[in-house]
Amino acid sequence: MPSETVDPESPPARAVSRRPALRTLRLGFLQLTDAAPLLVAEELGLFDGVGLRVSLSAETAWAAVRDKLAFGALDAAQLLGPMPIALAAGLDGVKAQVTVGAGLGANGNTLTLSRPLAEEIGRFPRPLPAASFAAAARRRADAGRPVTLAVVFPYSSHNYLLRWWLASGGLDPDRDLRLVTVPPPLCARRLADGAIDGFCAGEPWGSHAASLGIGTIALSSGDIWPNHPEKVLAFAAGYALQDPESATACTAAVIAATRWLDAPENTREAVAILRRRLFPALDAAEVAAAFDGTAEGIPQAAPMRFRTATLPRRDQAAWWLRQMRRWGHLPAGIADSTALAPWRQDIWRAAAARLREVEPPAPSPPPADLPETTR
Amino acid sequence: MIRAMAGTRAGGGPGAPGGRTLRVLLVDSDSDRAAAVEAGLTAAGCLVVGVATGTTELTRAVRDSGAEVIVCGLDDPSRDELEGMRALHRDEPRPVVLFAEKAEPEQIEAALEAGVAAYVVEGMAPSRVRPVIEVAIRRFRAHQALRQELAAAKQDLEERRLVDRAKAVLMQTHKLTEPEAYRRLRRMAMDRGQRLAAIASEVLHKNSA
Repeated sequence: MPSETVDPESPPARAVSRRPALRTLRLGFLQLTDAAPLLVAEELGLFDGVGLRVSLSAETAWAAVRDKLAFGALDAAQLLGPMPIALAAGLDGVKAQVTVGAGLGANGNTLTLSRPLAEEIGRFPRPLPAASFAAAARRRADAGRPVTLAVVFPYSSHNYLLRWWLASGGLDPDRDLRLVTVPPPLCARRLADGAIDGFCAGEPWGSHAASLGIGTIALSSGDIWPNHPEKVLAFAAGYALQDPESATACTAAVIAATRWLDAPENTREAVAILRRRLFPALDAAEVAAAFDGTAEGIPQAAPMRFRTATLPRRDQAAWWLRQMRRWGHLPAGIADSTALAPWRQDIWRAAAARLREVEPPAPSPPPADLPETTR
Repeated sequence: MIRAMAGTRAGGGPGAPGGRTLRVLLVDSDSDRAAAVEAGLTAAGCLVVGVATGTTELTRAVRDSGAEVIVCGLDDPSRDELEGMRALHRDEPRPVVLFAEKAEPEQIEAALEAGVAAYVVEGMAPSRVRPVIEVAIRRFRAHQALRQELAAAKQDLEERRLVDRAKAVLMQTHKLTEPEAYRRLRRMAMDRGQRLAAIASEVLHKNSA
């Protein structure tokens, strides 16, 4: 760096060099509609408003987000609900303690099936009954062509809600069909290729596949657990401890963004922001569907919401934990208190107090645990 | 797409530091960078048996290549698919080693400490790549062994529960003692050449029908 161009003894230069640099919060997110609170906070200047410099980092994979949070290349990130549990337990070798500042939204994922599979099921009401799907899946398995469904990440609401739904139809997701992982932006193509028969992913990817005529939206995640918590805003291990002021400020800006997002008069602008920042190749209608609460034009019983889901609730996260245990994804000996430690409410409460945000009403309870299938 | 590599370089790459050749599948959506990474891996004594880029269906690529370890870009879009193969543990799980184009040395140290097997491509010394890969393979095997133990223990428990319940049914319906009920189950299993748990499950099924 050519520092010689500035006289190091001149008073302004010395004053600048002595001031501690304003740290930039590095915040990771994925190309999904429910990253909206983060993008809106930036676009509306809400981070600036709380005196925070934030550098938003578009990431390409959940695994990369997880690793970067774990080794300090990101200070905070949008995470899938079960990911803090996976990190606390050190699943697949990567261990880190993160802190959930706020929920980023509720609902918003869809199960989209290929046209051929939808035809095999026959005419069905929406949401698709699990028993109708199970009958078709059994026929396919008996014919030696088991159904392949994609989820976006192993430790995801998608995986666990889908597994619950499959089990409610009497299917064993580990035996009666194949579950694979495919990144959401690739799902439509894989569906068209016939590599998968359906996928459960966040919007706009279900609406995108439907609008291309490749797939049909069979149900929404809110049909399985109405108003289920979806993504979270999580801070890296040390960050919330070392700089609680910034974590609180960031959380406040994000809560303010969710307020703006849930006001219907802002939907058009929100869609425009998302298309400009994340989905330049997608039609406005594909992005708008989630905000309108529709799937292929049909109103959803529990559409995507932001503001009502910001308070981190440990009792709700406990459902992810139970599912992870049920499917054998968590080794024995991980205590509930360890797995659920990331869900604290102190940051949210401090942030909410600044905004005079009141505690959102308690959401719907999770679906009841199903009896273990006897094998 | 996947580019299969000719196997002509098998049998210990040039400069293999003592150990045997490792068969590597390289996953990188940036084909220019993939060539540089491949050269680095070869120098480190690895045999790159395939290069998967972009939209490859990875399960098939891994199976077809016969790779024993996967090397993938830290930011590659394929990462979650690889995680799925590992975590849903039915499709060709393999250890995964990551590379970053550039990173601060302390970041890579922190990554290794957090359990992320990673190395930096820029200014990469081949002698440093190989140990990272070998540690990743060892960790992966330990993890797999643990997972299999857990699964076996779980199945064991389930089977024991089935047998216990079936014994209780036989004791009640045929007025048998516990050892008699157990002997009867065992005899049925031997006569039909079936597992004890299968017979137990059948007894329970008949009883509930």
